[in-house]
Amino acid sequence: MKAGSDAEELLVRGQGDFLADLHLDALEACFVRSPYPHARVQSISLPGGRGLTGAQLARLAGPLRVDGPGLKAVPWWPLAVEKVRFVGEAVAVVWAEDRYLAEDLADETEVDYEPIPAGPLHEEAPDGVLYESRREGGDFEAAFGRAARVLERTFKTARQTPLPLEARGVVARWDGAAGRLTVWTSTQVPNLVRTVLASSLQLAEGDVRVIVPVVGGGFGLKAHVFPEELAVAALARHLGRTVRWVEDRRENLLASAHAHEETVRLRLALDDQGHFLAVDAEVSCDVGAYSVFPFSASLEPVTTGQTLFGPYALEAFRLHASGLASSKCPAGAYRGVGMNAAAFATERMVDIAARELGLDPLELRRRNAIREFPTVTAAGRELDSGDYLGLLGRLDAPYRELRRQQAEARREGRLFGIGVGFFNEHSGTGASEYQTRGITTIPGVDSARVRVGEEGTIEIATGGADAGQGHAETYRLLAARELGVAAEKVVVFEGDTDACPPGSGTFVSRGAVGGLTALTEALREVAEKDLAPGLEVTRVVDPKQVFPSGAHLAAVEVDPLGLNPRVIRYLAVEDCGVVVNERAAEAQVRGGVAMGMGGVLLEEIRYSEDGQPLASTLLDYLVPLAPDVPEIEIEHQESPSPLTALGSKGVGEAGTIGAFAAVANAVADAVQAELNELPCSPDRIFHLRRS
Amino acid sequence: MEQSLRVKVNGQAVKREVPPRLTLADFLRDRLRLTGTHLGCEHGVCGACTVLLDGDAVRACLLLAVQADGREVTTVEGMGEPGRLTPLQRAFLEHGAFQCGFCTPGFLATGEALLRSGRRLSRAELPDLLAGNLCRCTGYGPIVDAILEAAGSR
Repeated sequence: MKAGSDAEELLVRGQGDFLADLHLDALEACFVRSPYPHARVQSISLPGGRGLTGAQLARLAGPLRVDGPGLKAVPWWPLAVEKVRFVGEAVAVVWAEDRYLAEDLADETEVDYEPIPAGPLHEEAPDGVLYESRREGGDFEAAFGRAARVLERTFKTARQTPLPLEARGVVARWDGAAGRLTVWTSTQVPNLVRTVLASSLQLAEGDVRVIVPVVGGGFGLKAHVFPEELAVAALARHLGRTVRWVEDRRENLLASAHAHEETVRLRLALDDQGHFLAVDAEVSCDVGAYSVFPFSASLEPVTTGQTLFGPYALEAFRLHASGLASSKCPAGAYRGVGMNAAAFATERMVDIAARELGLDPLELRRRNAIREFPTVTAAGRELDSGDYLGLLGRLDAPYRELRRQQAEARREGRLFGIGVGFFNEHSGTGASEYQTRGITTIPGVDSARVRVGEEGTIEIATGGADAGQGHAETYRLLAARELGVAAEKVVVFEGDTDACPPGSGTFVSRGAVGGLTALTEALREVAEKDLAPGLEVTRVVDPKQVFPSGAHLAAVEVDPLGLNPRVIRYLAVEDCGVVVNERAAEAQVRGGVAMGMGGVLLEEIRYSEDGQPLASTLLDYLVPLAPDVPEIEIEHQESPSPLTALGSKGVGEAGTIGAFAAVANAVADAVQAELNELPCSPDRIFHLRRS
Repeated sequence: MEQSLRVKVNGQAVKREVPPRLTLADFLRDRLRLTGTHLGCEHGVCGACTVLLDGDAVRACLLLAVQADGREVTTVEGMGEPGRLTPLQRAFLEHGAFQCGFCTPGFLATGEALLRSGRRLSRAELPDLLAGNLCRCTGYGPIVDAILEAAGSR
């Protein structure tokens, strides 16, 4: 994508070229998907010459597979080969001149399945455990030994899916004469797609070009490499034709990636003053049928384990984390990843502790917040910066005001609740951190190239990939500031592996960490020189994790008849370090909070006991609508990170993480019940109030 | 077997032979190359494909192209020109009423129909009127602000 100053105007005129808008004269591919959760594929009868089975395609492209410490490396083939492991898994691909005809062919395809009633999904993991790890920090036994009180609770988060409004899509073109593959794909990770396509199809990386069109939202979903990308590319090479696949919403809900289905059991040791001493955590995640690429089955349990009790001073911490296979869609990244469940479980536990101790929830947080930075926590986190008491202090006045309103509302018999969500999160995970975890599939570096073009234009190219965050606007602001040029003179290129320096793409809020550090350093080096056409500087950065933090405050009213929770006030105090582009940062917070509200109140993909997904349309999978989201008040506290060029720490996920805690606590407070399972739907509230 | 379709699209008369099962959205996108009308769910919930049919906001994924026979369709391509945006489009830009831009044409169509309806739009009521369009990026506030501003400028 090339983003000039007119990019936004193109979008508002409907002229942004999203994947399905490209005119590339392509055959249309359609996948034949399994209606069974676990079955042996006995035979497939394809319409003559217009389809390939999984076994046939397996000869053209290798599988996705992630290995690492604690992981079971299970292969995920472009199409299921011998058996299917979840409803929606593709078993064959067919193609035709247009989508209607391709869907006809898919309907005509006959597949003979033999359902497998029981038994392991993967031979490599007979116990179903795809990931497992244990960690301990501090003197755990001693801390629990002197506890005045130990609280124990179990928290559950729902299976969700990121649901970008534009679903996935791929176009692949094979140039036989040049031996070159060009793939347009709606992704957050173009370089990773290139690397994986090259190894799967046994091509040199230089012979694969990945181009990212305008992307209609990612939210983590598009930070994976998917079997469909391999299948479409292999098919294009096989046929010598350009092939396109545009995912429909049903496929997207059944078979893209889900996320967040977790059970978190916490034991919290406290002294008699309400100080937190230690936490014993058991995190287990339902990761679905396969280990997603590149993050693996460790993604959700590891990020939850890392984030539990993040902003609180503890003497000791113990974690047992696992990722368990199931006959469901594989689980991957969704904005906030395991940090959402961590903030939810932690902050529910803190409210429960406050209630048990008869303390004010805000006061209990203040009493336990980490006070000095930088520091290394009992869980081993190296916190670079922060001012946690400052965050909580900013909630003080509105919190008291809401408590006054609550007292009045309760006198009138209304169900009015207040919730605080206090958290820190990690962002910008780099190569060395991934290598420490044993994950070698993610490059972890971020890159930027600055070039002076003809007539003094400044060309910026990065290894990131925009999915609506507004990278180009931020880069132009920064270039104008660092070089003293007019923003209109700055042209931004992202998402073309031929034109941009290799990097990790855009996820884990890394744009404001490694991405902006690489760009700032490159700009500053350019600024020291004569801005002559042809001058070019490239910077590659291996970022160190930094820790944004925040304190959110939500007020919720639950209508006594329908038991529908409604968020009526929301304040987000963010500390994402130095705010580089206020408009973009606030847009991230606002959108993130809305998504977090969805996670707490609405979003859930349920499966029936026999493995059938129960949300295959947007009438079943509910996301926040305009009336569900109140005005979101945003305040910035800036404690600069010493580890990034601008002091910025990233803000892509903070809104969601904070809302998981604040909204859940507010609903629990409104209905005066221990609401420890998400979503807080009316039926769940109903049953809790009855019991 | 194809059927004749005569329809006015963005002010221009169009005549085509189309299969009866072709949706209006696919007709606009694939046959007329008006790809500003986006498909987000193809089952009538997300509102990304909203267009104006004789001035009413409708979902182009739920209509067959032949149902538009003899009628007038306005898509986002008919709403403003380079450098000459509609007040609503300008307000969307000014308020940051989109991030990825995928839902935007649908919101513009819904918003345009509301503005043309002449009804008084209030901050309290407008979110309910927008409940037929999904946005995953913005949290909706900036969209509400943009439509209210455009309504005020009329």
